[in-house]
Amino acid sequence: MIEVQIRKELMGSEGKMILDLNLRVEKNELVALYGASGAGKTSTLRILSGLMRPDSGKIVVNEEVWFDSEQKINRKPQQRQLGLVFQDYALFPNMSVKQNLEFAATRAPSNHLEELLEIMDLHQLAHKRPLTLSGGQQQRVALARALAQRPKVLLLDEPLSALDQPTRWRLQDYLQEVHKKFQLTTIMVSHDSNEIEKLANTVFLLENGKLVATGKPNEILPATPHSVGKVIAIEQEKNRTLLTVDIQGQKIKIALPVSRADHIQLGQSISI
Amino acid sequence: MQYAMEELVAEFSNESGIPSQMVIGASGKLAAQITSGAPFAVFVAADTKYPEKLYQNGLCLAPPRVYAHGKLVLWTTRAAIAPNVNILDSKAIEHIAIANPTLAPYGKAAMEFMGNHQLLEKVRHKFVYGESIAQTNQFIVSGSADIGFTAQSVVLYSQLKRLGKWAPLDTSQYTPIAQAVVLLKNTELQEKRAEKFEKFLFSPKAKKILENFGYTVVK
Amino acid sequence: MDWNPLFLTFKLALVTTLLLFVVSIPLAYWLAYSKSKGKPILEAIVSLPLVLPPTVLGFYFLVAFSPNNAFGRWLEQWFGVQFVFSFTGLVIASILYSLPFMVHPIQSGLSSISPSLKEAAYVMGKSRWETLTKVLLPNIRPSLLTGVVLAFAHTVGEFGVILMIGGSIPGKTKVASVMIYEEVEALNYDNANFYSGILLVTTFVILVVVYLVNGGYLKRFFK
Repeated sequence: MIEVQIRKELMGSEGKMILDLNLRVEKNELVALYGASGAGKTSTLRILSGLMRPDSGKIVVNEEVWFDSEQKINRKPQQRQLGLVFQDYALFPNMSVKQNLEFAATRAPSNHLEELLEIMDLHQLAHKRPLTLSGGQQQRVALARALAQRPKVLLLDEPLSALDQPTRWRLQDYLQEVHKKFQLTTIMVSHDSNEIEKLANTVFLLENGKLVATGKPNEILPATPHSVGKVIAIEQEKNRTLLTVDIQGQKIKIALPVSRADHIQLGQSISI
Repeated sequence: MQYAMEELVAEFSNESGIPSQMVIGASGKLAAQITSGAPFAVFVAADTKYPEKLYQNGLCLAPPRVYAHGKLVLWTTRAAIAPNVNILDSKAIEHIAIANPTLAPYGKAAMEFMGNHQLLEKVRHKFVYGESIAQTNQFIVSGSADIGFTAQSVVLYSQLKRLGKWAPLDTSQYTPIAQAVVLLKNTELQEKRAEKFEKFLFSPKAKKILENFGYTVVK
Repeated sequence: MDWNPLFLTFKLALVTTLLLFVVSIPLAYWLAYSKSKGKPILEAIVSLPLVLPPTVLGFYFLVAFSPNNAFGRWLEQWFGVQFVFSFTGLVIASILYSLPFMVHPIQSGLSSISPSLKEAAYVMGKSRWETLTKVLLPNIRPSLLTGVVLAFAHTVGEFGVILMIGGSIPGKTKVASVMIYEEVEALNYDNANFYSGILLVTTFVILVVVYLVNGGYLKRFFK
């Protein structure tokens, strides 16, 4: 469980901005920090991880005080047990994928790494250098590395923004899987409302450094018109999958790229 | 000779009305410059080696003439040390400054002197070599060298007179350090003026100045 | 054929470069990451040897370490050392003289690394030392090599400072550059040519080997 009450004066591109937050994340929740650029989302993550020091406030994580300006407590990032995935991945170019994970995992048991490589599908790439990998592969390594140290809390700073749609979808599935499997509490910064809708339990909406709304994704996010229907037929073609969907009596045929459709089954409800 | 020459040149300019300018440098460097065409009128050196070379290369009006002889002294600016040949070998002396013997006549004389006193092999490890007599003086003045061999004209120079202590050395123990002058081929006007200067160097007035600086002159 | 001055030159360059490497890393680290207001002053001090004539440095050195002055006298009384006319003195002077050549490339390299690399290591629980030695330095190997090569070459070519404070003592402070100078002064152009040639060829070969090795072998060694 994470409690954050902090205040910090920031210099933005538009001038001064006061980041003033009071939020609470329950254990095992996957929450999204949502808002326009410059709203203070990344700064919030940096403050939580100890890379930025708030002017005043208190941060308590799992009953441990990480920051308290009155008591003059400020735990260094090294002492805060969390995993952080940076927007630019921050993979160490001088180490292979496996070495990157090993470097992070000095405090964790070794079979854990094998498990991670397995889950994130990184076995083939274990001995490659990060710079030789594609964006999606680097992203998986960054995520695996953040998890290698067995954190209880995972912070993600727009982890999927630089990737193409199919890769995003795949990685969103990975995220969900590891979040459940490792029983994490996850805070994710994202711009993508579809992504948030798919993954998050709770959304914090930030505007100009202030928390203006909290709630479920469908309560907070701008509504996109959609319909729900049932898949009644699936046809495989060479490069695509054709779905026949029954939406309230109407039959519609939809073409999807194979990768996108490969986990859809007959009888499944989908929203379009 | 630098300090003595300053006075000599000033006196000459005064007397003759000919404006004169001194360029100071190591003999070897100056000789190289003259060979490359530097427009000097007179070349004065602390030995005959370089003036002879220039004469042999046909750059001079006449062979070099010796107008005085320099004297070698021991000099120290370290308060606790009294300059004396006998202490060179002692523990109190760690570094002895001498001018590089292959480059500077005073260095050569110093080596000769020590050879004649059977000191050479005993104190060789203490030598520090100045690339010129000027640098040797630097080492002595800064105290980095405990003691050193230099020219008497240096220690008699007014600005340096009160600096440290010096002792003259037996002149029979080293070849006298000949101060030579040679006139260089130049424009007719310059050559005429140069001749006047050379004549001045042998005049009684010049001899007096030289003696004040500790040089021995031909009477 | 007197090889001593050449050995002395390379010994000086090697010792200076090694010590400089150790000294420069903390300095470059501070300069790269500090936001202190005093930074421009330290930067200027580090860059000073670039613009200062070597003879000025040599002169100050001579005066500072002279036993007739306070500091030199203190050194002599308390430690029994005199830096003028000694190999140690040459090393100290060379370290000061070649400082910017080692610090600047390393500083530049460290500044060019994305700050998120350092931050990622901290969040992983790595100390500043571990981050420096296992993450930062291994990723700026070209900068480190540049610093080492420049400092080494610069020290090999050093002349003015050594002339001022060395005393040209054979086997101790008579380095190749001073010897060549003396040979020229003595009009022994043949000798001067010969020693100059050796110095040129040796330095060139060292540089070529270093650049060749940088590609492959050095990577394995740094693991």
